Formats: sequence, structure tokens, C-alpha cells
Amino acid sequence: MREKNIKSILIFAGVLFLLAFALSPFIWMMIISLSDRPDFLGNAEVDYIFTLKNYVEILTSRRLHFMDYFKNSLFISIIVSVAVSVIASFAGYAVSRLRFPGRIAVPLFVLAMSMFPQISIVGYLYTIFADLGLLNTYIALILPYIAWTVPIALWINMSYFAQIPVDLDKAALVDGASRTKTLFKVILPIALPGIFSSFLLVFIACFNEFLFAMMLTTDHIAQTIPVGIALFRGTHGEIPWGNMMAASAIASVPLVILTLIFQKYIVQGLSAGSVKG
Amino acid sequence: MKKILIIIALALFSLMSCGRGPQLTFMVGGAPNELAYWEEVLDAFEKETGISVNMIRQASDTEQRKQSILIALRGQRPDPDVMLMDVAWIGQLASSEWLEPLDDYNIDASPFFPSIVNLADTYESQLVGLPVYVDGGLLYYRKDLLEKYGYNKPPAYWSELVEMAKKIQAEERKTNPNFWGYVWQGAQYEGLICNALEVFASAGGGFLGPEGNSIVNSPANVIALQTMVDFINKHKVSPPNTYTDMKEEEVRQMFQNGNALFERNWPYAYGLHRAEDSTVRDKFDTAPLPSFPGGSSASTLGGWHIGISRFSDMKEEAAKLVEFITSYETQKKLAVTLGWNPGRMDVYTNPEVIEANPNIQNLKEIFMGAIPRPTVPYYSQLSVILQRHLNAALAGNVEPNKAIEAAHTEISKVLEEYAK
Amino acid sequence: MQSKFLVQYEKREVRNAYAFLTPILIVIFLFILFPVIGTLWKSFYQDTSFLPFEFVGFRNYAQILSDTKFWSALVFTLLFALATVVLEAVFGLIFALLLNESFKGRGIMRAVILIPWAIPTIVSAQIWRLMYDYTYGIINHLLTSLGFIADKVSWMGTTSSAFWALVISDVWKTTPFVVIILLAGLQAIPQDIYKQARVDGAKMFKRFRSITLPLVAPVLLIALIFRTIDAIRIFDLVYVLTGGAPGGTTETLSFIGYNYFTGDIFGMGSAISVITFIVSFMITILYIKLGRFEKNIK
Repeated sequence: MREKNIKSILIFAGVLFLLAFALSPFIWMMIISLSDRPDFLGNAEVDYIFTLKNYVEILTSRRLHFMDYFKNSLFISIIVSVAVSVIASFAGYAVSRLRFPGRIAVPLFVLAMSMFPQISIVGYLYTIFADLGLLNTYIALILPYIAWTVPIALWINMSYFAQIPVDLDKAALVDGASRTKTLFKVILPIALPGIFSSFLLVFIACFNEFLFAMMLTTDHIAQTIPVGIALFRGTHGEIPWGNMMAASAIASVPLVILTLIFQKYIVQGLSAGSVKG
Repeated sequence: MKKILIIIALALFSLMSCGRGPQLTFMVGGAPNELAYWEEVLDAFEKETGISVNMIRQASDTEQRKQSILIALRGQRPDPDVMLMDVAWIGQLASSEWLEPLDDYNIDASPFFPSIVNLADTYESQLVGLPVYVDGGLLYYRKDLLEKYGYNKPPAYWSELVEMAKKIQAEERKTNPNFWGYVWQGAQYEGLICNALEVFASAGGGFLGPEGNSIVNSPANVIALQTMVDFINKHKVSPPNTYTDMKEEEVRQMFQNGNALFERNWPYAYGLHRAEDSTVRDKFDTAPLPSFPGGSSASTLGGWHIGISRFSDMKEEAAKLVEFITSYETQKKLAVTLGWNPGRMDVYTNPEVIEANPNIQNLKEIFMGAIPRPTVPYYSQLSVILQRHLNAALAGNVEPNKAIEAAHTEISKVLEEYAK
Repeated sequence: MQSKFLVQYEKREVRNAYAFLTPILIVIFLFILFPVIGTLWKSFYQDTSFLPFEFVGFRNYAQILSDTKFWSALVFTLLFALATVVLEAVFGLIFALLLNESFKGRGIMRAVILIPWAIPTIVSAQIWRLMYDYTYGIINHLLTSLGFIADKVSWMGTTSSAFWALVISDVWKTTPFVVIILLAGLQAIPQDIYKQARVDGAKMFKRFRSITLPLVAPVLLIALIFRTIDAIRIFDLVYVLTGGAPGGTTETLSFIGYNYFTGDIFGMGSAISVITFIVSFMITILYIKLGRFEKNIK
């Protein structure tokens, strides 16, 4: 009984803490995105004026190209996330359940590759895609993004798969299923929490990636939101705070929606216990 | 599995065979309204010559623009053909022999600021660039406040500036606790070097001597750096976050909000200060920066220049574009639409231009004597070293003379290694 | 005579394994391995466009290792990584446990916690800069009007306060990453174990320490490994918030690399990249050894 009360109190306090932690800067960002001028704090003569003009401007101004960036980001991120989920599922399955030489070396190799700073890699990527004549295309970002995000997806999947009992596989194999079928029909349904969380992380990583997008694209045909926001700045460092904050607020909408949808799958009860399938 | 791979391969192939013939590309960065201006210019160029130009849009951060250009030039790519380059690093591009000499294309450099063309755009006696727009450091001041407290002209010496700032700041603080005497760029970035060069040069110091040797450890520099440090720590006329936060925009906003008496900034702030909603709209004016007794006022040269890549596959057309962009008409448009200062001197007397930028005649004088940062190819290495040590002195972590010594030692090492 | 080595592997399993691994290996080989090899190779050369391209052996490395600036940046980077990873582990665990409990609005809370991670780094760095600003910042404003401090503070003004300012900004941004991974990991723990423990009379905290913590440790370790790798590479936040100030004391490894790359000194830049990699790699090995992870993989 007492434990239940303690738990409720803890949950309540925890939720408050979470809200304060996650939201305070975000609320500040929203306040600025809805204000006429960002410097109303340090200046006695500037008042806070509520306005929607920043949002209107970025949503409708063709010159700002925001909707183009939004479309590009969305498209690229979805394709990469789906591709990475598939690739990492296959690879994760192999590494966690099959026995072959290189079983430990491969994940470590993949991990090691992700340790190099992006700036040293981007020059070569530029050369590759420039030679192929593919600069400023979706594919110039999709392929490097897949390579760049697949390590984290692999490791999440790996650790998740490792916790699923091998007996399930054996049961399916004995019934005559191929390895691929086993993966899709038996393992994946149970591993959904892992798959969805890595999908989410990969999606966000692509959506917010800056350096590759900056160097491998040249205009709004393929530029993504982070680059677009960087383009708001003026030559002498002028930052249109209102526009920038409004743009970020809008950019976080798909991510929040995606999370709301996916988090339903990151739940208990999908693990061992439901052997049927 | 195999099917998927084949499909991907086919897709890649078909994308590749979308034949890309040579295209004239122009690489430029800036805010949306600036890029809109360039789009108009390129449209006009196409109308006039029938050559279409592809614009590569970069962010406005100078380091990022440099990175993109660097990667393209290193790879000896045919694009970009024409690009805008910061005057601070045009020297590096030139020494790497990446810029096409413009003399061969009958491009006439005489209407442009001769000192700037000589100092920044000439490499081994060849013309490799032209100034599209020019920047130089200025002193902005509140003429209403100077009048109020009995001063009838802006300070000619740094010591005068301090005296005025201290007195007026003390009084103004009674009604405005956020008021500061002198705001300038002291954060750890390139802007700090621009500020420092002005103070150093006005004391008779500088960074590199005529032979390319380091004169960083000259006594004049120590005095100058001490002056800068004293603004913050001794006289307290500059805010404590001068060496952490203060860049162009922060400084401009302080002044524009009525929170500063003196401001060191580039000419771009002028138009913004005169905006409808600016607190200081009719209350300010500009002047050359102060100097030390016996020295002369110095202004660091800034701005962006245009050049042609040596690897361009459309050099003739590129030259035409350069001519167009630096033509009288286009330069005039630059001044009137964006409020920037053209590289062509003859535009400065145009009545439309003067109406849009009333201050422009004063600027012409200042630009003629503006001092460039060293145009050596390894300048960015020098800048990084100077930024660190100067900023450390400003933060009060190191004594100015020690900071100068340390900078000098490191710079000498760099010279040894790279100045071959 | 088949070698003893291969006998233990079923031929079909091996074939399957390599088939499954082909996509990931292709993608990584083409777009990461090739540039990495290039970087490694270049690090042994003097690669500057205004000087001859020549082989210099280990000279670049020697220069870096004898530069005091490198060592102070390394120390700063490692301290930064330590502070952020520890804080992220603690907060991440707290939030993950919270979001694992069922309560009304849990779904929305899960979306809320993701918001810091969802904002592009360049923007969140600017937001924090605005918040830390001496004159216009909300932090100074709140603290002075609430009476916690007498005068405004220049948060970036000293190395230690800048350090913590950076840490706080980074922890805020990347804790959600840890939360999401931990949350998924918590789902894999069967409820029966808890039921049994409760029946056996174990209290809440004891259940946490003996059941939850050990079972979630492997996933936590993965999250921390990736966070550490990212922390060692930290760049955007430092570039926007401090630029290395005061006096270069907040410069990180990638900052130094960035200066070399933009200065067109590719040889040195590549060498710093390799050194960054080595540091990350050594720390990862440490993690794996500490977590006795090899046991888990096998």
C-alpha cells in the first residue's frame, strides 16, 4: 500500500521534472517565435509583442524556400530510416544469432567506422558525388546518411535481438522456415520496441544532420531544414530570431507526431511470453 | 536481395547519364534577401548575354563558405566557375594558384579602389580578383549624448574615448543600468583580429612586417593590447562579455537599443541604425576610429571579392559574368538595394547611391586607407593563434605582454614551417 | 582436410550470415571506409595546396602531440565527455523508468522528452546562447529578479562556468537519446520476474537494484558508448556558444581539426581525425571490458 503511494508521488514529481527539463528552453523558443522582436529582455524600450508573422513568413515566403527544405528533409529521412531499419535488422539478426567467423569483428568494425569526425569524411563524399554528377540530389544525402546512421541501428538491434531466446528460432527452423522468414515472422514482432526506437533515432539524426547536407547540396532542390535555417543568417551574422525559432518549431512537428505514433510500439508484453507466431 | 541491388545500380546509372554539359556556376552566400538580389543580377545577365547561370547558395558564415570553395577547388572541379571570396582568405586561394588571372580577359581594374586592388587582389603582379563590396571598421557615436555632456566632436585618441565613455556612462547609468561606454567585437573569432588590427596599427604596430616576418611582439602592440584589456577590466567601459559574446550583431544591437555611447562596427550597421524602429535613429553619426598620439586612425579592410576558378570550364563566359557584376550599373544597384559599399569608386558620387546611403562619402575616405590583414596563404593559422592569445588577455587570464610573446613565438613557428 | 577452425561453422549458416551482412557492409565500405582510408593516408602527408604535396611520415602526429594546445583540448574534451555522459546516464535512467510506468498521458510525455533531441543542433545551440546572454538572456533575468544572484553573470566568462554551461546545454539536448534506447531496453524485461520478486517480499528499490539495473545495463552501455563517441566529437555547440573562449580554453579536439581543415592544412586535419578516432576507440574498449560485454555478445 505504502509503496503504491510512494510510487505515485515519484511519478508525479518525475513528470513535473520532465516537463521542466524538456520544455523550458523549448517554451522560450516558442515565446521568441511568437514575438515581434527578440531583445525585449535587455531593452527597456522594447516590449513583448505577440505576433504570428514569423510563422506566416516562413510558411508562405517563396524566397525563404522553407517548404522546399521541409519536403526534402521529410523525404530523405523517411527513406533512410526505412532502409536502415531493413539493413540493420538483417545485419543484427546475423550477428546475434548466426555463428560465423567475424561475428564479433563486424559490429566492432562498424562501430569503429562511426568514430571518425564527419569533417574528415565529407571531402571524399564530395569528390565521389561530384564525379558521379550527383551533387545536390536526394541520393547524395540518402546514401551517406544510411552509412552514417546504420551503426547505431545495428547495435540497438543487436542488443535487442540478443535478449530474445534462440529457442524461438529453433522452433521455426524445425518447422521448415528459412532464416529470412524466421527473422520477419518470429523475431521482428517481438523486437518491435528496439526496431521502432532505432527508427526514431535514425529519422531524427537525418532530419537534423548539418555538415553533409551543407557540403553536398547547393540549392533548395535538395537542401534540408538545418541548412535552410543556416541560410537565414545574414552576411554580418544577422540572425532573424523570430524566423529561426518559428522554423525550428515547425520542424519539430513531424518528429513529435512520429514519436506519438511509434511510442505505442515501445511497450512491454511484446517480449518472450508471446511465443505464438 | 539481388533484385534490389540491380535496381539500385540501374537507378544510379540512369541518374548519371542525365548528361550534364558544362554550366556556368556562381557560388555565393548570404541571407535570403541578399540571395534574392543575386538572383535578379543573374537574371539580368542572362537577358543581356543569353548565358544562363546556375547559382550555388551557401550559408552566410564565412568559414562555411570557405570550406565549400576549398573542397571544390582542391578537387579541381569545373564548378564553381565564379565565386565570391572573403578578402581575408583570397590570399590563400591565390597562392594555391586556384584563381584565374583576370588580365587576360580585358577586365579593367582602374575604377576600383587602387589600394585595395593592389593589396588584396594582386598576386605575383597579376590581377586575380575584384572587390565587389568593401568594408572597413568605423566608429559610431551618439552625437546627442556627446553634445549633452559638452563634447563637440568625437574622440581622436583612445584616451579621449575612455575619458568620454567613463564620464557619460556613469551619468547614463542612473537611468539606464544597461548602458555601456564602448562596445566592440572581442569574442574569439575573426572579428577580434579586425578590431585588434585597428588598435595595433593606430599605435604603429601590426602583425607581419614588410618582409613577412612577425612583428607581433612590437612594444606598440603591447600598449595597444593593454588598452583593449583596460576597456573591459580597468575602466569598465566595455561589458564583461565583450570577449565571450560580442560579435557584430551583439554590438550593433547594444548600440541600436540605446545602450552604448561608442560602437566599433562595419558600415552595414549604418542603414540598420537608421531604421524606423531604431532607438538611435537620428542621434548618431560616424567617424574614423581613434588612434594613439603620433599614430593615425586605422580601419581594417573587409568585404568580398569576385574571382574565377582556374579550373573553370567556361572561362570566357565567367569573365563576362565578372564584368557584369562589377559593372557600374550592377554596383550601383548593390549600393541602392542592399546598402552595401561597392568596390567601384565612381559609384560613390551617384546621387541615387548617396540618397540611399548618406554616409557613403565619408566611407570612401576610410576605404582608401583601409588596412588588409596579411594576405599570406597561411593567414588562417596566424588568425587562430592570435585569436586565442588576444582573447586570453582580454579575459584577464594572461598579461598582455605575455600573451603577445606567446603569440609571437607560435606565429614564428608557423612562419618557419609554411613560409617557404 | 578441413581446418579445425572452419569445422565449427555450419556452411549454410555462414553463407546466410554473409548474405545478411552484405547490404550493411557495402554501404559502409563505399561511404565511410573509403574516406577513412583516405584520411589515414593523408595524415602521413603534408597536404596543403600552397606547399608541395610530400610524404612526411609521422611528422604531423609529432607536431600535434608536442603542442600544449592539443593536450589541453584533449583534457577539456575528455572532461566534457565524462560530465555529460554521467549526467545523461542518470537523467536518462530516471526518465526512462518514469516513462515505463503506466500513467495517464504517458504517450504525450514520451513525445515531450524527445523534443530537445528533435531540435536541430544549430538552433538549440543558438537558443542556449540567447538564454545565457549577459544582457538579453532569460537566465540572468530570472536569477536576478528572483534574487538568487545580485548581479548579472557572464556565463561564458570563465573556463569553468563555460564548461558547465556547455555541459548543461549538451545534457539537455542528448538525454532523450539515452531515454529512448533505455525505454526500449526496459521493455525486454519480463514482468514475471518483478511479480516473483514482489511475492518474495522485495522492496521497490531493491527490485530496481537487483533486477532492473543489471538487466538494463547492456543497453545502457550501448547508449553510453555512442554518447561518448559523440561527446568526443563535439563541435557545433562549442562553436556557437563559446568559439573556444575564454582564450581558447574551451577548445575541443574537433575544434582544432576544424581550424586545420578550413586553413587547408589537410594533413594535420587528417591526423587529428585519426587521433580522435584512436581516443574514441580506446575508450570504447574500456567500456566493453568494464561491462564485460564480450560475454553478452557471445
